[in-house]
Amino acid sequence: MGLLNPLNLLYALSLAALLAIYLRARSRPTLEVSSLMLFEEVPAPVAKSRLLRVDRLFWLEALALGAITLAVAGLYVRVNQPAGTNHRHALVFDLGAAMGATTGDHGSSRLDEARHAAAQIIANAPAGDRFTVSGYALEAETFRAAGSGPQEARDALAALTPAAVAARPAALRAALMRARAADQIDLFADRPPPAAAIDDAGLAGRLNFHQVGTPAPNLAIVSLDAGVPRSTVGRCVVRNFSNRPQYCDLVIEAAGREVFHSMLIAEPRAEIVVPFGPLAAGGLVNARIATPDALAADNQRWALAPSIAHAHALVLSRDAAVRDDLARIVLAINPNFLVTAADPDSFKRSQHFDLAIIHDSPDQGVNADSRLLIFPEPPLDGSKRPQLVPVTRSVALAELQERADAGTLSAPVMLGPARVLAPPPWMEPIARGVSVGEHESFPLAAFGFDGDALVGVLAFDVRDHLLLDPDRMDALVLAIDLLRRLVAPRDVLIEPTGSFVTVAAGAHARLTAPDGTMRSLVPDQWGRVRFRTLQTGRYLVTSNVPAVAVYANYYDAGESDLSAPPSASATSSSPSPIAAAGPSRLSVRPIAIPLVILALLALLGESIMLTQRAIRWRASHV
Amino acid sequence: MLEARAFEPEFLHQLDGLMLGTRRARTHRAGQRIIGRHQGGGIEPENFREYSPGDDLRFLDWNAFARLDDLTIRTFRAERQLEITIMVDASASMAVPADDDKLGLALTLGAGLAFIGMNENDPVRLVAFAGRHGGSRLETTPFRRRRETYVEFRPFVNALKSGGATRISAAVGDLLHERRPPGMVIVISDFLVSPGDYEEALDRLLGARHEVKVLNVMGDRESTGNYPPGNYRVRDCESGELRDVVFGPAAAEACRRRVADHTARLSAFCSRRGIMYAPAFGASHLDEIMAREFPRLGVIA
Repeated sequence: MGLLNPLNLLYALSLAALLAIYLRARSRPTLEVSSLMLFEEVPAPVAKSRLLRVDRLFWLEALALGAITLAVAGLYVRVNQPAGTNHRHALVFDLGAAMGATTGDHGSSRLDEARHAAAQIIANAPAGDRFTVSGYALEAETFRAAGSGPQEARDALAALTPAAVAARPAALRAALMRARAADQIDLFADRPPPAAAIDDAGLAGRLNFHQVGTPAPNLAIVSLDAGVPRSTVGRCVVRNFSNRPQYCDLVIEAAGREVFHSMLIAEPRAEIVVPFGPLAAGGLVNARIATPDALAADNQRWALAPSIAHAHALVLSRDAAVRDDLARIVLAINPNFLVTAADPDSFKRSQHFDLAIIHDSPDQGVNADSRLLIFPEPPLDGSKRPQLVPVTRSVALAELQERADAGTLSAPVMLGPARVLAPPPWMEPIARGVSVGEHESFPLAAFGFDGDALVGVLAFDVRDHLLLDPDRMDALVLAIDLLRRLVAPRDVLIEPTGSFVTVAAGAHARLTAPDGTMRSLVPDQWGRVRFRTLQTGRYLVTSNVPAVAVYANYYDAGESDLSAPPSASATSSSPSPIAAAGPSRLSVRPIAIPLVILALLALLGESIMLTQRAIRWRASHV
Repeated sequence: MLEARAFEPEFLHQLDGLMLGTRRARTHRAGQRIIGRHQGGGIEPENFREYSPGDDLRFLDWNAFARLDDLTIRTFRAERQLEITIMVDASASMAVPADDDKLGLALTLGAGLAFIGMNENDPVRLVAFAGRHGGSRLETTPFRRRRETYVEFRPFVNALKSGGATRISAAVGDLLHERRPPGMVIVISDFLVSPGDYEEALDRLLGARHEVKVLNVMGDRESTGNYPPGNYRVRDCESGELRDVVFGPAAAEACRRRVADHTARLSAFCSRRGIMYAPAFGASHLDEIMAREFPRLGVIA
């Protein structure tokens, strides 16, 4: 016998409380009487055995509490399961990027090692056992549902591939929850799972953890900044996760031409900042580490250098300070912009612009390929003119709480006045916030394709140099992110792995992944296709409109650090591992229901005794 | 408290017209002791009888002698002056158990009997007794005869507090030191003392030629043993002695048995000595006690 969660035995402290109540009840209160002539002394034998006196009510209550405590703690028995009885196995695999790290001389990955261990389990399992194969990275995914035989399970093992993303604890928790029904769960990962995730999963069966992989040297490209062509140098940051110095053959190419190639020596667990350029022209920049190491996913990275071609940008605002701030930011992103700052009341709207930034002004009549609406005007009273991004109301003070690329901010950023937007379905919110004093959040920034035009919107006002305020840097980061999306080439996108990418596409869109696999994508009613990047490299979306290339970059400090020594080769959560499979085996069977029935019977017996006492003493309560 | 009822008009109305019968002669106002009913110096004619030598010629019925030529003596009912002393136990045991209100019951019954005694213009007093420091504490009221002065018992009844041990014999000894003429003594107590104590006390009262009546007061809970079940350590409120007791059905039965034994012994002693004995168990049964036990004590309508 054993306990699934011995921590729950803390509930047995209730027995101590019961004992205290019992002793309190057994203590002899002093009662004053008129004369002792009327009372007989308690016979000596009874007085001597007071400490061991059997109080049936006490023992019944103790029995009920004890049974409930053991039921909560998950008391189970091991029963012999006859041969031939189906046993359910759940094989759960970590499919994070680190599982793709190669180890050993044979070039096998950690996932291969896990596959091999799982195959052994399948091979040793008696006939009739069923298997579930599932994995987790960004989310839990089941590859073979329960009921699969050994061959189907082996096929599922072969189909497992690591994703170039970091495995999330929430995904592990979800995968374990899905496997809860199994008699035995085998978890394969390169690092011990968080205890909280296992506890949250509330597993009833046993969990065997198989840690795979050995420490391996790894180099990773942390970041790549292409710089500004003909103006500023670019920077590439390489990190050595090994405890030893590593050679790093770094190659940087721009527009297909090699702009940097050098063999570097990276100090143990240190970063190298490699400057290059300035580049001669804008375009796609690729950096890669040619030196083979354990993890290939973080060995290359892409960035876009702004075009050197002059582009025209328009900044419309009635506030001169806002025009000045926005023009500075546009020029900081790309110095080749020719910025026209104007008051909307005096602006002639016939000229065409590559980018138009319109602050608190109507956007009608502005001819631009991309437009950024900042603090868009609410509709005039009685106006039936449709708005590009409808404004429902204004709030006096808004807080930025969440950014798409940064998640929930640790501290909300106070912004000032803002418009509450009702973004059309073709727009994706990339930041959210709340009005001070309210609880319901609303979009503070959104981005999308309106036909062929790119449209971004910032809902908050940027007057009073808000974007240049160092205490509200998140607002500036959000504005720059939005501007970069608007000025980026339409046919090339740089995205982190794990993110959803929305691309304008026509009918019959096909997606070619970096590993060469192809699949069809169905555009939505606005002509967009949406997919998730799970591999590093180039995704190509082809349709009857010009193709779009999406370059996915991967870097995660936790996953890329492969030098951490593994703990035990195989550890297990509660309960302890059981013997290897044989003709007959022990099976864990919780006995919560019998314990609860026992507790109910004890309470029933107590009720009967109390009722008898009430009848005997003619009391309405006892 | 129950004793407040003793001065309520409704309660006194019930006692109106009752009188306390006596088996013994009441004393002449002059204080001469005479056994049995006798002709006295009263004014209420009682009977006629034949003259015998030595009779007071003042009571010779000359009219009858003139008509019948027989000497006939006219007799009169004596002037009755019977001192009634009502002794109420005010020891600590009379206040325990508190919800039984034994002292209230005893005071109510004592005051009621005093009121009845005053109906006949007999001098009545209330005496509270309890033991103190090995001796006795005796608190008495003056004799009161007229019903109009009955309310003057109220301060005594209301102020009386229980305390001390039960010392009936010591209290009787103090009482007899007053050397009052023989009268009627009504002892109201729970008699939760050793039989020797109350037997000595009652014998001494009888020896002083008092007519003695005993009213044994007990509480409801005390007489039934109806205590909440469980283990208790009981403490004698007078002696402070402790005893471990397990209350339950058996203990209640034993308690009832002991009360029955105790009262049976007291009743038997009273019967042997010609003492009127009346039990008064339970303050909640006051009206029932008065209806059943007052006649036994000699209260007649």
